[in-house]
Amino acid sequence: MAPVLEKRNANWIILITLLVAACLAIMPLPDWLILMRPEWIPLVLIYWIMALPYRVGLGVAWVTGFLVDVLEGSLLGLNGLCYVLVAWLCISLYQRLRMFTLLQQSCVVFVFIGIIQILNFWILAITELNAGSNLLVMLSALTSAVVWPFVFVTLRHLRRTFKVT
Amino acid sequence: MPGLSSNSLLQWYHNAHSQGTRVFAIKSLFVRNSFSGYQLSALVLFSLVLMFADHRFDYLSKVRFYTSYVVRPVQWLTDAPLQLGESVQGSIKTRAVLETENEALREQLFMQQFQLQKLAHLTAENQRLNELLNASTIVEERVVRAQISGESPDPFLRRVMINKGQNDGVYLGQPVLDAYGLMGQVVEIEAFASWVLLVTDPQHATPVLINRNGVRTVAHGSELNPNELELRNLSNTVDVQVGDLLVTSGLGQRFPAGYPVGIITSVVHDPGQSFAIIKATPSAQLDRSRNVLLVF
Repeated sequence: MAPVLEKRNANWIILITLLVAACLAIMPLPDWLILMRPEWIPLVLIYWIMALPYRVGLGVAWVTGFLVDVLEGSLLGLNGLCYVLVAWLCISLYQRLRMFTLLQQSCVVFVFIGIIQILNFWILAITELNAGSNLLVMLSALTSAVVWPFVFVTLRHLRRTFKVT
Repeated sequence: MPGLSSNSLLQWYHNAHSQGTRVFAIKSLFVRNSFSGYQLSALVLFSLVLMFADHRFDYLSKVRFYTSYVVRPVQWLTDAPLQLGESVQGSIKTRAVLETENEALREQLFMQQFQLQKLAHLTAENQRLNELLNASTIVEERVVRAQISGESPDPFLRRVMINKGQNDGVYLGQPVLDAYGLMGQVVEIEAFASWVLLVTDPQHATPVLINRNGVRTVAHGSELNPNELELRNLSNTVDVQVGDLLVTSGLGQRFPAGYPVGIITSVVHDPGQSFAIIKATPSAQLDRSRNVLLVF
């Protein structure tokens, strides 16, 4: 019996999840909460690369990083660089990452988001655009790791419901 | 799951191909094909070139401008609930609340109109005195209202986004004020929005003078406290007191003169330091205002 091949609606779902992540990323927050905001866009990107490495790869990661640069008003190409490096790490390791428990995945996500934050910090320090910035940005890597299980479960549910492949 | 017999597998493969859809007969275990390394280094190199071009030169402002059309939906979506909430709140106010608000606003307007009665006379007198001193004439300022529609997600960068952009005539370096004082200047323009750097950003310096005695100095944003200004280069002997009002001096041709910038909150004369440690709070309500004015 020939298997049924589903209609392609994967791109829409991925786009919508990235859009929601972008809205969450620029939502205004009170001053004391800003440092603790999880990095929603990299989280969603890491999930889709882990789940669908064929569909979401380095190109998508770079374009997303570029759009985040324009959205946030930072140096063009900065987030592109960071996201591409983390995406490459993901693509190299996705088979292992799928086997991890949620806790282990959270630790890996902490490292990935930490890499993004540190690269941001370094490049801003090199180009001297970072008056007043300090390493408290790593706090957002921590909250991203804490939020990862929820992101994972939600996106996996979405992927299975809409049969995104 | 297709059966393991090669015939049915082949049949399924051909069927799928004839429908024009992409099929993996056997999913390969290794996604990282031989081109992934090249792709990575190409993208990394491209990013570095872009960053260099954006940081040192101005080539990429057009790119940023046109890409902002693409990200505009995200910004609009994020601002939409707030707009919706405000309009709903506006339309469901009870009549009693509206009446008291109306009364209070009328009272305020009346008092302000009374205070403004002498404005015409004072302006003309100022003009005459300036002409007597052969100073330059006073130019009428045109203002445009805007609303703050977002903040910079980066907690160390004190910038806000307003909802007027190049299509509304905003230009780089344009001063932005709220009802109580100077907020900052426009640093980046997109088609429908602009970024405003606040006076409390550590990278921003405002030329000010002390209203009481005319001492000219520069107010920088504080690195430690996001809602504070610092006067960094005043020596210990300068006449500064707590409670002094700082206004824009107009020097540097960036900000028009006379707008309130801040009020001095602490003056510390440390004999061991060459400069006094002077802190001020901004007059503008930087984290609360939603309506701002752009001065042309």
